[in-house]
Amino acid sequence: MSTSKISIPKFNLRDKFGDWWEGTTRNQRIIFRVLLIAFFYILPFLDNPVFGTTESDFSSVLFYPMGMYVLMAIGLNIVVGKSGILDLGYVAFFAIGAYTHAILGLSFGFNFWVNVVLGMAFAMFAGVLLGLPALRLRGDYLAIITLGFGEIVRIVAINVNFTGGAAGLAGIPAPPSIFGVEFLVDDPRPYYWLVLTLTLLVIWAYMRLIKRRPGRAWEAIREDEDVAEFMGIATTKYKLWAFVLGGAIGGGAGAVYASQVTSIVPELFDLNVSIMILACVVFGGMGNLWGVAFGAALLGYFPEKLRFLSDTRILFFGLLMVVMMNIRPDGIIPRKKREKVYDKNTGKEVSR
Amino acid sequence: MSDRLLEVRNLTMQFGGVTALSEVNLHVSKGEIAALIGPNGAGKTTVFNVTTGYYTPSSGEVLLNNESIIGLKPHKIARKGLARTFQNVRLFGDMTTLENVMTGADSRNKVGLIGSMFGTAQSRRDEESSHLKAAELLNFMGISHRGGQLARNLPYGDQRRLEIARALALEPKVLLLDEPAAGFNPQEKVELGELIKKIRDAGFAVLLIEHDMSLVMKISDRVSVLDFGQKIAEGTPSEVQNNQRVIDAYLGVADHAS
Amino acid sequence: MDFSIVVSEFASLFLDGIVVGAIYALVALGYTLVYGVLRLINFAHSEIFMLGTFACLGVTMLLGYTGYEEPIGIGLFLVTFILITVVAAVASGSAAMLLEVVAYRRLRRKGANRLSSLISAIGASFFLVELFRLLTDSKDWDFPRLLDKNSLFEVSSAYVTADKLVVLIGAFGLMFALDRIIQGTRLGRGIRAVSQDEKTAVLMGVDVDKVIAFTFLLGGVLAGVASAFYMLFYEATKFNVGFLLGISAFTAAVLGGIGNIRGALAGSFALGLIQQFSSAILGYNWRDVVTFLILVLVLLFKPTGLFGEAIQRARV
Repeated sequence: MSTSKISIPKFNLRDKFGDWWEGTTRNQRIIFRVLLIAFFYILPFLDNPVFGTTESDFSSVLFYPMGMYVLMAIGLNIVVGKSGILDLGYVAFFAIGAYTHAILGLSFGFNFWVNVVLGMAFAMFAGVLLGLPALRLRGDYLAIITLGFGEIVRIVAINVNFTGGAAGLAGIPAPPSIFGVEFLVDDPRPYYWLVLTLTLLVIWAYMRLIKRRPGRAWEAIREDEDVAEFMGIATTKYKLWAFVLGGAIGGGAGAVYASQVTSIVPELFDLNVSIMILACVVFGGMGNLWGVAFGAALLGYFPEKLRFLSDTRILFFGLLMVVMMNIRPDGIIPRKKREKVYDKNTGKEVSR
Repeated sequence: MSDRLLEVRNLTMQFGGVTALSEVNLHVSKGEIAALIGPNGAGKTTVFNVTTGYYTPSSGEVLLNNESIIGLKPHKIARKGLARTFQNVRLFGDMTTLENVMTGADSRNKVGLIGSMFGTAQSRRDEESSHLKAAELLNFMGISHRGGQLARNLPYGDQRRLEIARALALEPKVLLLDEPAAGFNPQEKVELGELIKKIRDAGFAVLLIEHDMSLVMKISDRVSVLDFGQKIAEGTPSEVQNNQRVIDAYLGVADHAS
Repeated sequence: MDFSIVVSEFASLFLDGIVVGAIYALVALGYTLVYGVLRLINFAHSEIFMLGTFACLGVTMLLGYTGYEEPIGIGLFLVTFILITVVAAVASGSAAMLLEVVAYRRLRRKGANRLSSLISAIGASFFLVELFRLLTDSKDWDFPRLLDKNSLFEVSSAYVTADKLVVLIGAFGLMFALDRIIQGTRLGRGIRAVSQDEKTAVLMGVDVDKVIAFTFLLGGVLAGVASAFYMLFYEATKFNVGFLLGISAFTAAVLGGIGNIRGALAGSFALGLIQQFSSAILGYNWRDVVTFLILVLVLLFKPTGLFGEAIQRARV
């Protein structure tokens, strides 16, 4: 029963925030949420030398890598962080979504939104196809198989005609304008807002799942899968759901990504992407939504801000994973819950 | 016969070349506390593992409420009314005490993922019912004040109670307790005995594996003895206590080749 | 799909299959040995191999070979090659031991779950790949041809060349030596003990830390030698050479039964042959897909492999 109290000063941000949050009224919370969300929408206009990125345009960075990383990290978090399933091939879902929009948009002229839904559907289908047999396996083997799956998707994309082969596909259509806002090639801001909105939707759905039965089931599975089974949890079903939901998010993200970059090649969807998203989840705090989102935003942002990090991105991420696992495996914002201790006799809350 | 909630008939379990259980017959009836004792390695926990579906027996029958449960997955068996605790306490450490019990209670609900995500009325009802049931059980076990604490931070005694509460949340017909008194001092064992009787009185049938003979003798209605995977005796506590074969088994004197 | 090539080129494909298989075997042994003692897949083992290839390259560069000279005589070649192999073995062996300390040991001591160890290993693997990518400028690096590769003799369609003989003889010799080490030395027995039952091994006085360090050392040394053979045969390396070779070697280990030494050998030769024949029939681009598919199929349908033991389930 060891809680590692050594080396890193206790990060009390979570507790302090938690204390404050509990003291607020319902209206205060609504205002806080609205302000926070508004802040994120305004973010592209806050491009200044302090905030701004050196490598690329700030708004562009907000979309990719930051926005995409956050969305995908939330998706992967359901799989790895909450349920304890190590998926090393997450990029496969991203690729499936991207290619779905690319192919259906280019060849058949399907609407962007239709393609997003179809991209998610295909990704989910792939998740079931892979998950049904693979999720029976133990951690290490499952990880290798998911890695293999990611690679197979990429290799197939290179070798097959309708994906454009190694040359990929270009001229991918943009989303139709929404409320008069046009999705133009040189303006990443609407795309960022689109990703932001989708992310908020995902977070909304996620919170509902986590606070209820599915969340508990996933945590139980991560804690002790055998015992979870004995307690009546259909572990295979829940693991599959985690996998599939994660895949759906990846697929959706992929479709949006393809619409912004307008041309995709198989190299874009390689193992490095899976690893980078995994690094975000690990760094941010496995299982903790806010940690993961915050971590992903940081890991997306800093390589763009600091030139030396930009070229050595993966080096840094790899090292980060080793360091985090060894020193602070719970991530920067750990998922450990706040405990309430009550006195046995009086029933009153005892201070921690 | 029909009030036998759990029945194990001619159960044989082989792992490779090793026969862990051989033609074992056991039963637990409604309203009784049955005990399963025997020297270490006799196969007692294996009986639990087979009945709860972790292993599929090589041959034999397992009936829960007169329904065969052989070949069913553990979670289905749990839902049909067979719950258990473990030799080494196995809680969901990073979840709170309340949440641990709620995972058991959840299994009695119907709502699935879609329902939870869209916040249907059913999901809200289920959530409340799980919460309520868990709170009641914590109260019943005397650990309400631990509700908000992480399971891993509980003192040992409360962890054991929590494990039992979690199993009870499944509303089982039969409760399997694997060495519930391990690590307890004599006073705690007395309290545990009272608790088990309270559970029996509340309508659950209990089958327990235990090494502490005085506890077993005090609270059990019926005792079965296992040695080298075979049942060698069964009867009331005093009958078993005076059974020569049982004494020999524990002292290691008997000729086990026969 | 051209099946006739299988018949006409059978001997040649077969020879290349076992040569490649021999190289895989040396790397696969590293995976299997570490799995035996740690019950973990050493994800970064492929990078240990890659490091070895660059060590080989470094030696030839230090010795002044540019790749444009005439092949050297057999005597000089053997001396040079042994030097290269030793350096690579030392480099890879030490790297492996360092890897164990940095990425695995602390987590093992803390009793961390396998997810953490896996992630740490993956991080180490990617760190090494990127490090070498930056150091080697993402280029292909050629290895000078030291040995005359003209055909010594022919068996049916197979051209038996000196490098293939060196690889085969060297690999088999090494496997024999490994067998002696595992059976005959104290640390070797320690490896077997820890692989079977760690708790009892500790009670019997086995120094588990030492055994694990030694296991990594062995695996690293084998990978280092494999890298020398690889360079001799393929004559080129790149920062990402570890990845595909690692997947092949790992698949071989799983095919034979992970944790099982004989299995690793059998699986390696089997995979080498399968790869050669399937490449001939389907074309080279599908080779890796075939390898992945074999891995996936084995893990799904016969996870114990051809010879292996059952994968342990958690004990209740």
